[in-house]
Amino acid sequence: MPKIETAEQVKRFQEHCKSALDRFPIVVSLCNGTACCAMGAKELAAAFEKELAGDESVKFIKSGCHGFCEVGPLVVVRPLDVVYQRVKPDDVPEIVDRSLRHNEVIDRLLYRFGDGGKVFAKEGEIPFYSNQSKVVLALNSLIDPYSIDDYLAYGGYSALARALEMTPDAVLKEITDANLRGRGGGGFDAGRKWNSCRTAAGERRHIVCNADEGDPGAFMDESILEGNPHSVIEGMVIGAWAIGGDDGFIYIRNEYPRALKAFGNALKQAREYGFLGENILSSGLDFDIKVSRGGGAFVCGESSALFRSLEGEVGEPRAKYVHSVERGYRDEPTNLNNVETWANVPHIINRGAEWFRSTGTKDSPGTKVFSLVGKVENTGLIEVPMGITLREIIFDIGGGIKGGKNFKAVQTGGPSGGCLPASSLDLPVDFDVLTRAGSMMGSGGMIVMDEETCVVDVAKYFTDFLIEESCGKCLPCREGLMHMSGILHRITEGKGKPEDLRRLVKLGDAVAAASLCGLGVSAPNPVLSSIRYFEDEYLAHINEHRCPGSVCSALISYHIDPAMCTGCGTCEKVCPVDAIKPVPDEERKDGLLREIDADVCEKCSACKEVCPEEAIVVESPAVTTEHYRENVTEMR
Amino acid sequence: MADITTAEKSPAKLTKEVVRFEPRIIGFLCWWCSYAASDMAGTSRLKYPPNVSIIRVMCSSRVDPAFVMRAFAEGADGVLIAGCHLGECHYVSGNYKTAARISLLKKTLAQFGFEDDRIRLEWISAGEIRKFSKVITDMTEKVRNLGPLNWRENFEPK
Amino acid sequence: MEETSVKMLKLTIDGIETEAREGETILQVAERLMIDIPTLCHWKFVKPYGACRICTVEIEVHGKTRMVPSCSYKVRDGMVVKTRSEEVIKHRKMLLELMLARHSQVEVVRKLAHEYGVDTTRFEEMPSEQCINCGLCVRVCDEVVGANALTFVKRGTERYVSTPFEGEAESCIACGACAYVCPTGHITVQDIRDRKYVFSELALGPTTPIHIPFAAAIPGIPVIDSHTCIHMQTGGCGICSKVCEPDAIDYEMQDTFEEMEVGSIILATGYKTFDPKRAEQYGYGRLDNVITSLEFEHMSHASGPTGGAFVKADGSEPKSVAILHCIGSRDKNYNEYCSRVCCMYSLKIAHLIREKVPDADIYELYIDMRCPGSGYEEFYNRLLEEGVHFIRGKGVEVSQMPTLATTTPVASNSKLYVKCEDTLLGMPRELPVDMVILSVGLEPAADAEEVARVFKISSKADGFFMEKHPKLAPIDTLSDGIFIAGCAQGPKDIPDSVAQGAAAAAAAMSLIDAGEVALEPITSVVDEEVCTGCKTCLVVCPYGAISFDEEKHVSVINDALCKACGCCVAACPSGAITQRGFDDTQIEAELAALLM
Repeated sequence: MPKIETAEQVKRFQEHCKSALDRFPIVVSLCNGTACCAMGAKELAAAFEKELAGDESVKFIKSGCHGFCEVGPLVVVRPLDVVYQRVKPDDVPEIVDRSLRHNEVIDRLLYRFGDGGKVFAKEGEIPFYSNQSKVVLALNSLIDPYSIDDYLAYGGYSALARALEMTPDAVLKEITDANLRGRGGGGFDAGRKWNSCRTAAGERRHIVCNADEGDPGAFMDESILEGNPHSVIEGMVIGAWAIGGDDGFIYIRNEYPRALKAFGNALKQAREYGFLGENILSSGLDFDIKVSRGGGAFVCGESSALFRSLEGEVGEPRAKYVHSVERGYRDEPTNLNNVETWANVPHIINRGAEWFRSTGTKDSPGTKVFSLVGKVENTGLIEVPMGITLREIIFDIGGGIKGGKNFKAVQTGGPSGGCLPASSLDLPVDFDVLTRAGSMMGSGGMIVMDEETCVVDVAKYFTDFLIEESCGKCLPCREGLMHMSGILHRITEGKGKPEDLRRLVKLGDAVAAASLCGLGVSAPNPVLSSIRYFEDEYLAHINEHRCPGSVCSALISYHIDPAMCTGCGTCEKVCPVDAIKPVPDEERKDGLLREIDADVCEKCSACKEVCPEEAIVVESPAVTTEHYRENVTEMR
Repeated sequence: MADITTAEKSPAKLTKEVVRFEPRIIGFLCWWCSYAASDMAGTSRLKYPPNVSIIRVMCSSRVDPAFVMRAFAEGADGVLIAGCHLGECHYVSGNYKTAARISLLKKTLAQFGFEDDRIRLEWISAGEIRKFSKVITDMTEKVRNLGPLNWRENFEPK
Repeated sequence: MEETSVKMLKLTIDGIETEAREGETILQVAERLMIDIPTLCHWKFVKPYGACRICTVEIEVHGKTRMVPSCSYKVRDGMVVKTRSEEVIKHRKMLLELMLARHSQVEVVRKLAHEYGVDTTRFEEMPSEQCINCGLCVRVCDEVVGANALTFVKRGTERYVSTPFEGEAESCIACGACAYVCPTGHITVQDIRDRKYVFSELALGPTTPIHIPFAAAIPGIPVIDSHTCIHMQTGGCGICSKVCEPDAIDYEMQDTFEEMEVGSIILATGYKTFDPKRAEQYGYGRLDNVITSLEFEHMSHASGPTGGAFVKADGSEPKSVAILHCIGSRDKNYNEYCSRVCCMYSLKIAHLIREKVPDADIYELYIDMRCPGSGYEEFYNRLLEEGVHFIRGKGVEVSQMPTLATTTPVASNSKLYVKCEDTLLGMPRELPVDMVILSVGLEPAADAEEVARVFKISSKADGFFMEKHPKLAPIDTLSDGIFIAGCAQGPKDIPDSVAQGAAAAAAAMSLIDAGEVALEPITSVVDEEVCTGCKTCLVVCPYGAISFDEEKHVSVINDALCKACGCCVAACPSGAITQRGFDDTQIEAELAALLM
């Protein structure tokens, strides 16, 4: 494949790729994202390939993440424009026969909303999708991430061609005018960063993409890298042109083997086509990207620690007053941006800064990808315009709390963020508002919690996570978090003391004020924000030994409501510690009920999950089996 | 001064059956090493055969091959030349010259029919008194076994 | 390079208006103004680290207030700094409380915490750790010394300082810089048996490049071994010159070679001790607590590694010691001669041990007791009275387990068992002792052969330099003007060495005093009449004493240079050269006389 050398050639090749794609009357897109793969997409792919063997009329794509992870595996058929959910390999022959050959919609595979509720066939009609504004993820369900031709067919690399015909200064101006803020969590003005890097003193400049994505529950960057790696490459080359970058790196966490594979393949193709290497598109720009894998340390998502890791040193942060644009990788000017930030760049160049600013808010233009997880009906990956409210995300897109339960809180920003209560639901999501409320938007993780989640437990979880990941260099983060965790553990075990809350706040303030890097500075956020909004929950744990969410195992006990129990005995069968024994039924003389021995019970909730009558009850504070037996009616 | 080179000598008539043949060996010893060794061997009361008569030179390189010939001509049955170990010559490099000369001499004399054991070159340092006594003993025995040289009868032109 | 003028920035610190150079940190400015900001992980010779956060201060820049570490934050124009604001003190106290939870016994932490009124901590206390993770040792070793022998391992609360693979760091030069900067005393330097060890459960490397050669060196100033000095090899480190106040370190100093013309030379190059590693049966180098007599001397010295205490390798006091005579001496396998001094010094060792450990069991295993001279036999008797056990039988073997069936092993497993044949009792014996001291014999110095070669003197069979006459000229050599004295000539003790030294000095002096030196009379001379001018002799003279007279076309021997070897005489084809005293006629006369 001879290298593409001019913008004109790019255009012609794009047309060539597009017509190659258009040759296929039918396109089947199977979501090959991580979640769908876990649900059996691999077997589905095999089944499709078998059914479609030799059929030249169908283009079968194993695409990146479509986003609707809750109902995966997903199959989209075009131009029929139908979305099939929870597809199994046995469904494949039917899909091929009816939908592909005969254009029929298979009703039972369609998405339903609510109990026996509305059926949605078209992608554009499903509320989960219709309330989103896909820009960065737009091509995910359309292209094969392993095919650069697919990307070109949809206009890929036209931004690069355009940018290379502009002057670097013009490109810089476009990005700066767009007010693109870093999507990795910091929200720093990318244009300003690019400008500073360009003018920094030094012989060489480095372009780096941060793909360490360490927040638990976050998979935005993963899906971009797996679904549309070329968009990131294109963004980085444009960045290199604007800033004057000499070489590029992408730091991908080692726990993303699929992203590594997809991106590595994309790099190879880009080089082959001439989008990386020497004299790219005859512009005189020499640029290439090297892949560096992380070593399993969350702290290496912090830019100065990332650079140390890239250099082969231990990932430990340095004081932030030394800006990385002046002294970053190898103490040379370095421009580091997040995956999603880079993926936005081609769109800005193609459609202009003004277009970009037309979405979102004034201070936070553009869209943001979120991973919406937790106790919502529809979990998955979404892309929404900045300024959308939490309520719209959780209820309109997310479909509300699962099982009709009550919303308690939403945790945004991962371990650096905080829990926001129902009173915050109407806050618009952007870089600044959430921070003022005591949390932060962060890199896009959004965990929804219902009445059966314990806020203290969540705060403990995040604190323990950060203790594991703390590099240990500075005193406040290393020691402070450890003691905070100790206090939280005591509280959740029913050993909380009255002074614990005050202590947590004081400690948290000290850690936030005195820590060296962002990890430490933001580490107390989950604790501090949950105390701010859910102090009553903490007090319940400490003073009443009660866990309002019925989660903390030291503070709960499991019982069976004799009024609901039918004596089916399923619970007894699944109990791993034989805590459930039959007891005579006082009312139905001929039957047996079941009772849980609270002293033996491990609170694994296996019984709760299998009970067909929902007769398993969780009491907090914990009570003995005898107490429950005697006070059942009052306790109901 | 009397010409001592032509001293009157009665021809030595050695009869084998009456006395054990006692070889007469001349030893040219360099002052710094082998002579000192002989001195110390004496003070140490080492026992060795008396057959070697010592002529002291300052350095083994003083030994002219003609002396060796002269010794045999005067009636010696064997000649020992002893100097310092190579590399340890008090005069730096004298013993190398000695080595070259004596080695050439031995080759020449072999052509005349001299047995190899009659001329012996040894390096004996000042402390090697046991080696000294051993060399003396060994050479005496060897030359004894070879028998008298009988220069007059065997080599002098008639 | 063009001169860039340094920009001056204005700032206010604790109400004082002052200026600072661009690039200076807040801490540097504070130090200049004598404002005390406490630090724990800071040292001016290494880059700021920002780990302890104790130096955190409050700043206001462009209307924004924040807390920053003063050690690493660079001054900005118009900055307002408060080093003791309420916030600062509050956070500092909290940090100190956190430190006390983990480092309650660390002196420097307690002191600093006490200054801020923090004497107890409300947080859960853990067993006190001496290392506060300040990283100074790691940074000194990396940035100043350049040895990179230390690093942090693991992360988070488990992070600690260690060496590569927790073993001996090959690159450590035991310079002790890490111990010097360590604020808590967690790292220390110790000398054990001439090997420097830097301790904190770390075993580091050998001796330092800059060192005083030995305790009694004259002059007693350090020297730098250029082969192991990091600065001289790589340009790095240089810490010694940084900390030397009188600036006395000169890395450029070169070895100089001095040439002196002298009339007499005294060789007093001494001895070395027998290396007991050659006698494996004694376990030296293999077993702990087997030491040589010289090592005992080193240990018992007040300025030695243990300050004069007599201790085993584990630091405990030995209660039983065996002193084995004749190690390497009087032995066909090693040296046949008697080393003369060992019996007496062995007695001295026993006497010293008796002084230090009054109730110790001390055994002397001897072949003979050689105590010649004034007061020596009396000293031996004194030792008999001190209750030292004398066993007439050479120590044969030292082992960790008893080898004789008749020996009952001692319960404690750190005993050494010394086997010997007690010739007075007529039976083999095995002694369980805590420590074994080997009385090693004396041998010629390691470079004796080379010295002999250089000075062209002879050595005896045992390797010591050869005297002109064992009885009558013990300090002369066969070469006039070269004298030998002391153990270079043979094993002897101090009084004898001193006597010989005086004798050699007197002999040398008398040579000098004579004012003139008698030349050898036995030089060679060329007979001009006979010389054919073949020039053969010029080549053979090792001293270049023969020159050629072009005019007369004959060789000429310089009488002063001629050393009288006679080589040229034998070489001359014409027989033109004669050696006085050794000419051909004289030798031939000898031959004739001998062979008559």
